[in-house]
Amino acid sequence: MTDLKVPTPEIPVVVTSPSRWHSMGETALLYVLSFSAALLLSALLVAVTGNSATQVFQALLDGAFLAPGRWGNTFVIAAPMLLVALGMVIGVKAGVFNIGQEGQLLMGAMAMAWVGTKWGGPGPLLVVLGLALGFAAGGAYAAVASFMKIRRGVPEVISTLLLVFIAFQIVGFAVTTDWMLRDVDPNRPTRAVTSAALPDDARLPFLDIFGNEFHIGFVLALVLAVVIAYLLARTVWGFHLRLLGNNANVAQKVGVSANRTGTMALFLSGAFAGLAGAVMLTGGSSTYRLTTGFASNIGWQGLLVALLARSRPLLCIPMAILFAALRTGSGFLASTGVDRKIVDVVQALLVLALLIPPAVQFIRDRRRALATATEAA
Amino acid sequence: MIGDFLSAVFDIFGSSTMYGSAVRLGALLAFAGLGELVAEKAGTINISVEGSILAGAFAGTVGYHITDSTVIGLAAGVGGGLLVGLIQANMSHRLTADQFVVGLTANVLVLGLAGFLNAAIDPMARRANIIEIPLLSDIPLVGPALFGQTWPTYLLYPLVPLTWWLLYKTRWGLETRAVGENPQAADVSGIDVNKRRRQAVYYGGMLAGLGGAFLVVGQVGTFDAGMVGGRGFIAIAAVYFGGWTLGGVVLGSLVFGMADAFRLATPVLGYQLNAQFLAALPYVLTLLVMYFITKQFRQPSGLAQPFIRGLR
Amino acid sequence: MRPAADSREDVAILQLSGMTKRYGSVVACDDVDLTLRRGEIHGILGENGAGKSTLMRMAIGLAIPDNGTIAIDGEPCTIHDPTQAVGYGIGMVHQHYSLVDALSVWENVALGEQGGLDRDSTRRRVREVCTKYGLEVDPDAVVRDLTAGLRQRVEIIKCLKHEPRIIILDEPTSVLTPSESQYLFEVLAEGVKREGWAVALVSHKLDEVLQATDRITIMRDGKVVEQVMTADADAASLARAMVGRPVSLRTAAASIGVVDTEVIAATHTAAIAPEVPPILEVSDLVARAPDGAVVLDGLSLEVRPGEVVGVAGVEGNGQTALARSLASLIKLDSGAIRVAGQVVPSGVAGAMHRAGIAVIPADRHHSGCVPEMSVAENLVLSSIEQFAARGILSFDEMRRRALELIGEFDIHTPGPDVPLATLSGGNQQRVVLARALSVGPKVLVAHQPTRGLDVGAIEYIGERLRAAAEDDGIGVLLVSTDLGEILALADRIVVMYRGRIIGEMTLDDLDVERLGLLIGGSTEGETAA
Repeated sequence: MTDLKVPTPEIPVVVTSPSRWHSMGETALLYVLSFSAALLLSALLVAVTGNSATQVFQALLDGAFLAPGRWGNTFVIAAPMLLVALGMVIGVKAGVFNIGQEGQLLMGAMAMAWVGTKWGGPGPLLVVLGLALGFAAGGAYAAVASFMKIRRGVPEVISTLLLVFIAFQIVGFAVTTDWMLRDVDPNRPTRAVTSAALPDDARLPFLDIFGNEFHIGFVLALVLAVVIAYLLARTVWGFHLRLLGNNANVAQKVGVSANRTGTMALFLSGAFAGLAGAVMLTGGSSTYRLTTGFASNIGWQGLLVALLARSRPLLCIPMAILFAALRTGSGFLASTGVDRKIVDVVQALLVLALLIPPAVQFIRDRRRALATATEAA
Repeated sequence: MIGDFLSAVFDIFGSSTMYGSAVRLGALLAFAGLGELVAEKAGTINISVEGSILAGAFAGTVGYHITDSTVIGLAAGVGGGLLVGLIQANMSHRLTADQFVVGLTANVLVLGLAGFLNAAIDPMARRANIIEIPLLSDIPLVGPALFGQTWPTYLLYPLVPLTWWLLYKTRWGLETRAVGENPQAADVSGIDVNKRRRQAVYYGGMLAGLGGAFLVVGQVGTFDAGMVGGRGFIAIAAVYFGGWTLGGVVLGSLVFGMADAFRLATPVLGYQLNAQFLAALPYVLTLLVMYFITKQFRQPSGLAQPFIRGLR
Repeated sequence: MRPAADSREDVAILQLSGMTKRYGSVVACDDVDLTLRRGEIHGILGENGAGKSTLMRMAIGLAIPDNGTIAIDGEPCTIHDPTQAVGYGIGMVHQHYSLVDALSVWENVALGEQGGLDRDSTRRRVREVCTKYGLEVDPDAVVRDLTAGLRQRVEIIKCLKHEPRIIILDEPTSVLTPSESQYLFEVLAEGVKREGWAVALVSHKLDEVLQATDRITIMRDGKVVEQVMTADADAASLARAMVGRPVSLRTAAASIGVVDTEVIAATHTAAIAPEVPPILEVSDLVARAPDGAVVLDGLSLEVRPGEVVGVAGVEGNGQTALARSLASLIKLDSGAIRVAGQVVPSGVAGAMHRAGIAVIPADRHHSGCVPEMSVAENLVLSSIEQFAARGILSFDEMRRRALELIGEFDIHTPGPDVPLATLSGGNQQRVVLARALSVGPKVLVAHQPTRGLDVGAIEYIGERLRAAAEDDGIGVLLVSTDLGEILALADRIVVMYRGRIIGEMTLDDLDVERLGLLIGGSTEGETAA
């Protein structure tokens, strides 16, 4: 550690790595190591509570992929996670850190519920309108944070977070209030605090591939991932977002306004979360009814997906499927007697594990640079 | 509705029980807020304060059960909070990972762990006794509120001057403030910037953990994985509310505690106010306060800026 | 020049011998010998990157030498960190501020010490040092409220409180007015006489080294090239030794502090006629910092096409605010900026850029370039729309344009696609300059464009700025704290003080003494401009 004490010279330091392939191999090894450590830690946790880690692993695998038709369930969960993650990526690229997706997602679902149960009309039209309005509602809810940031400098990291807890109450209010979304069907035995179910024809169509059923929301999310990846990398719009995210002053100087473009990015990141909520509802979450616990951490997990994918839109796809698999797999945990919360732990450990290799590498590169700087021939 | 609300406000703010519960509910925020203040003075927005509180509550419950001692429970809570602080500090100020990412993930981790292990422990813990401090508790209105609480609440009172002394009267505090304001200058002056930042996060984690244990053994009496419910974030807001001053943080905690107390008091006094509105009130209030106050104060210049020597 | 020191006190305190330091393949210091003597001010002269800072860093333990020995009072010793250096009686006044703005003076003085924090004794010590050396500073003042000159006093107090015998000052005058510099040298001379200090004055400015020192060591490319007594030295030979070739170009001469007003007058091209309408008109600008302090206080100036207007002044008088307002980064409280007669709204993203103002900022990492993006992206980012069809970027065209600019501006880079961060500071600055000029601006604002660069780069950038005005008819606004740079490049000079322009002169009525007074804020004898 003492060599880190040596101050960096004014002279640019040339980082000399033995070879490109060698360092790539090291990186891969680091990832494998830290991922294994995360899984090992999870297994240990299971073992400590007196259960079998192999059983848990098998159950997760069965529940996510191996049992008949489970791929479909995994894709259905992955769709909203991927959408949330894509929104997060747009925000991060522009230097906006929105962490209120859980709330924005609820706003989107609420808009869908409103359109689906209050407006009449042909079902497919309601679906399209609901998705559009859900997109807008999520974005508008995020824009509140943007407004506070522009007008008074309130950091969006905190305001978006607080807005989540308000969103919970807004949904709670909506589903317990007759003139809002509460299900007023007198035939239901308990006047449960849910919205009415979406009409049969206002639901997303499902595809069936080798017995795996999933709705077209997943296809939509995949398409959007490709589109976003392209837009960010190859267009003026994406260039401006990246410019803003990397240096807001240069961006402002050449005409990319932090207020305007930043608001757009924050709006879009909320809007994708809103779209995710609308897709969930019209894709059958909680049997097509809005409830207070509707979001069920999809927003948080989508956020983690984006972090895990290091803000690369296409990398979000496998990450979302991985996270969704943990979730659908957890449905099979009941037989093992292990609480399904274990998958939250595994997810968090995986994210932490993923943060370590780049950090270790960064420090090692610096140390190597300092060593070449100090050792001398 | 508005009329009801206003008359409820008048009634409730006229009753002394309101202030008692405001202090009780604000105490958690103050414990966590004091720690958060120190962490932010050193340059970290410690989002994992939420996780630290929950970890403290969990560890406090376990500690209490093993030893049947409230004191040990509180001490275990400090340890639990510190554990989360260790993750946050070393990931962000040793490995230079992004502090928000680490904080969020730590929160998810603790929430998952608490939920997973909830079944494995006995969540019931006896609430500590209420001790009325003679003479002081006889002061009208504020007396019972401040000095008629469960005894762990009183830990807060020495912590306020202690934190002040630590921040403003010791070399450690001076260096901590310096690394939060201008890490480069502190570095040139021979201070290990990231070490001080880690220590400040440890302090934040320990106090948040103590707050969590207090929540179990000093306030609620049982443990539940969802019991923190975002109040760690309100503690962060209290630091903003207080403009990064010690008195301001304490005041902010009280104000937010009062909002919570108001929510609990309305049904008792027979007011039929909307439950969701009241539940959202602390968060709405926090947002409003941040909207109107953030610009009035100068935050530490190095807040949320990572320090890597040689990079600027 | 100071009178010769008393020979009785002419005793070596600090001896550095054979000091060698390599950074990678670069030899920053190559077998350097240096002896500091008691009661003597020793000037260490060299251009940026000559190795003088590295040498001094080794002497106080901020850098560990690869080779060489340090002896104090004849005893060999090793110094691994600044605390050890303090133990040996070595103190350093840093080039860049090591002060924390939000803390008070006494807290800053206490920072980095060991042991308990004692407010009263620290304040007492600050006062003692203050009165002893005539450096008046209020120990309870918050550093943020102090002027640049006062801040440097705090730095000096931080150094003097240990009662060092050996004092190293690294480019101390860059933030001072001429009279403040004068005062600093008096304080040093007094300390040398009374306390027997050994002082090392590191500088790249010939004039101040000649004026303030007893002995001069000149460094170039990491080596000592000459050691002379100041009494025997003359500016021309020192300059030649320092740069390694005769310096005739006035830009290079200015960079090392040799400014011959006759040379300037002789090489000066005809001034732009006053009746030509200005391309840039700045009138009555008022702007506040986020904390409410007024940083621009009714500033007005004009730049005509084809002329270089120099804005002289000591750092911290609102230059940064001026440059930022011309880069659309600041919203003005009042006042107007006009380009070719048209008012340009302030603080509106890209408005100044679209109106034809290009800005080279003092801190290129703040608003000059994006280190994470590629060289090509940095070169074209202000005109990115030209490299896109219906919103889709053409990377081929971007790269082609980037290669053109890399050639034209002689940017040393492995290629257009590497991240800008991998380039040296001088080459990054060339990228910033290339982008600014490549968009065909009407007005070019250059704020400290050559700070920290080597003579080659300084010459190059100076020539490009002159060429921009003379050949392309661009109105150039050169904002610099380096009076030499301004004298060398500007056709007309205005002086900025506390957020406003307090005086103006053309090269034809150049009066360096009056200029110095103006820079210090003295407007005595001035008629209202």
